[in-house]
Amino acid sequence: MHIPDNYLSPATCAVMGAAMVPVWTMAVRKVTQEFDKARIPHMGIGAAFAFLIMMFNVPVPGGTTAHALGGTLLAVVLGPWSACICVSIALLVQALLFGDGGILSFGANCFNMAFVCPFLGYFIYRFISQRVKGQTGEYVGLIAGSYIGINMAALTDAIEFGLQPLLAHNAAGQPLYCPYPLSVSIPAMLIPHLAVAGVVEAAFTVAIVSFIRRVSPGMIHEGAKTRIRPIFAVLVALICLSPLGLLAAGSAWGEWGPDEIASVANGGKALGFVPAGMANGFKFDAFLQDYSVKGLPDIIGYIISAVAGAAILVILFRLFSLIGKSSGQRKRV
Amino acid sequence: MTPEWLLRSEGYAPRSDRDAFIDKSIRTFLSILSRIRSQTRGTQRKAFVDARVKLVSLLLLILFTSLSHRLIFVGLCGTVVLVILSLSRGEVILDILKIALAVAGFTFVIFLPSIFWGNLVGAVTVTAKVLICVAAARFLAATTEWRALTRALGAFRIPDLFILVLDFTLRYIILLGALSLDMLYALKLRSVGRNKDKTGSLSGIAGTLFLKSRDMAEDTYSAMECRGFTGTYRARRLPGLRVSDAFVLAADVAFVCAFAFIGA
Repeated sequence: MHIPDNYLSPATCAVMGAAMVPVWTMAVRKVTQEFDKARIPHMGIGAAFAFLIMMFNVPVPGGTTAHALGGTLLAVVLGPWSACICVSIALLVQALLFGDGGILSFGANCFNMAFVCPFLGYFIYRFISQRVKGQTGEYVGLIAGSYIGINMAALTDAIEFGLQPLLAHNAAGQPLYCPYPLSVSIPAMLIPHLAVAGVVEAAFTVAIVSFIRRVSPGMIHEGAKTRIRPIFAVLVALICLSPLGLLAAGSAWGEWGPDEIASVANGGKALGFVPAGMANGFKFDAFLQDYSVKGLPDIIGYIISAVAGAAILVILFRLFSLIGKSSGQRKRV
Repeated sequence: MTPEWLLRSEGYAPRSDRDAFIDKSIRTFLSILSRIRSQTRGTQRKAFVDARVKLVSLLLLILFTSLSHRLIFVGLCGTVVLVILSLSRGEVILDILKIALAVAGFTFVIFLPSIFWGNLVGAVTVTAKVLICVAAARFLAATTEWRALTRALGAFRIPDLFILVLDFTLRYIILLGALSLDMLYALKLRSVGRNKDKTGSLSGIAGTLFLKSRDMAEDTYSAMECRGFTGTYRARRLPGLRVSDAFVLAADVAFVCAFAFIGA
């Protein structure tokens, strides 16, 4: 679901980025005002979770791959505003360090994965769990919230793709950026997510939320017991299991490189051309492109990427908690 | 009856004088003292990893990072440092990153000419190596008590006398630092208005410090003799290794193997 650069026209990227600015502002304000400073490092662990969950690619019908997001999971554990910040920063690290998702399309990616998914998932979860009492309500809420959340994110993603041929084309009518109209992009994105990725997302969400609730309820409700070590153990387990994401061969839909796109078949017919905007568009070489290290086996490269990404996110939020502390002290003075 | 001159209000404003050098000295002393104190404060809490193991791991990391010519291996070392940092507190991370990034930035600037000659990979590799080594060394200093560190040196067959001198040095830095801080405060408080002799007093402080340190050394030596010191000093041995230490040592072995396979 990570839109690479040059799939969206620059105007679309600008609009999506502008749409995210008020969300980010509000999220930072909410978190600094309402979130206990000591819990900000938990957000780092949350961001690391989202980062790792997104590394588990699963094969989907049609020969492409998809992955879960963990947006609803973070929203239930840390609240939707913190989840928005966590996923945004995880996406930023992915884009800058691993070349997963574009730099220009960062705003659009955040809109789909850091705004639509966590907020929608969270509100559906709340709606159901408040009306259906007891364990059943909790679980039904989690499953419905995470399943609908990721699918709505896939839908907005597909709409952004599908609008491109209408918005940007040359005089001959040949699209400059993403070449597929809505009639292609929506089924191509939604079917794999409805069939596979949504189920994986719901499974991850239920498993991890119930684990945290049992082991370290303090991460969800303030004042309860917090134990960080078992949570770190789950992170390490996810890192060790991350090469499973390599089992699914092929690129995800809408994440082909410029060298791949001409031969991508759709309805039995290859596209046959490289859209002009993609062939000579903005290019950014990440340090660990596609989570691999040159000269090392894929599996080891994937594990190193997982470790580095998770560590960077945890470090970042530990540093953020310092900023929070000093500004809090200033207020008191 | 109150004399008239006592009732008159006086407008005495002492002329401002330059004493930035005193403030700067005070600040330096304070920062050094507080750093040493913050390092000796964590005595009650048991360290997660033994100081000896930490020291060996640091030496291995620095040695192999410097020996390797391949960017992949340097990247691996960087990942190791990232993991270590991610397990520390925010304050420690900030302290480490500040120093490491400053030093690495300076290195990068020095290597700028070589980048213009086309050797980008070399410049990046060396900068990354510096960043990794400084961060790792700073991590050891920031998370290990100095007393545990000097004692860990004993495990490496470093003469006990050397450890004794190191221990004393650290202790005297605290004592003499506190003493000179008091004298600097005194000089600052007593200098009202313009005091031309301030720089002269500063040399007085240095001289007093020297005399005082000689007295202290004599006192310490007498105290040691009274307690039966015969000239040989045995540093207290550290307790045995624990499970967490064995885990770190295993990671060290894996690291050396990684160097053998991809680093050289």
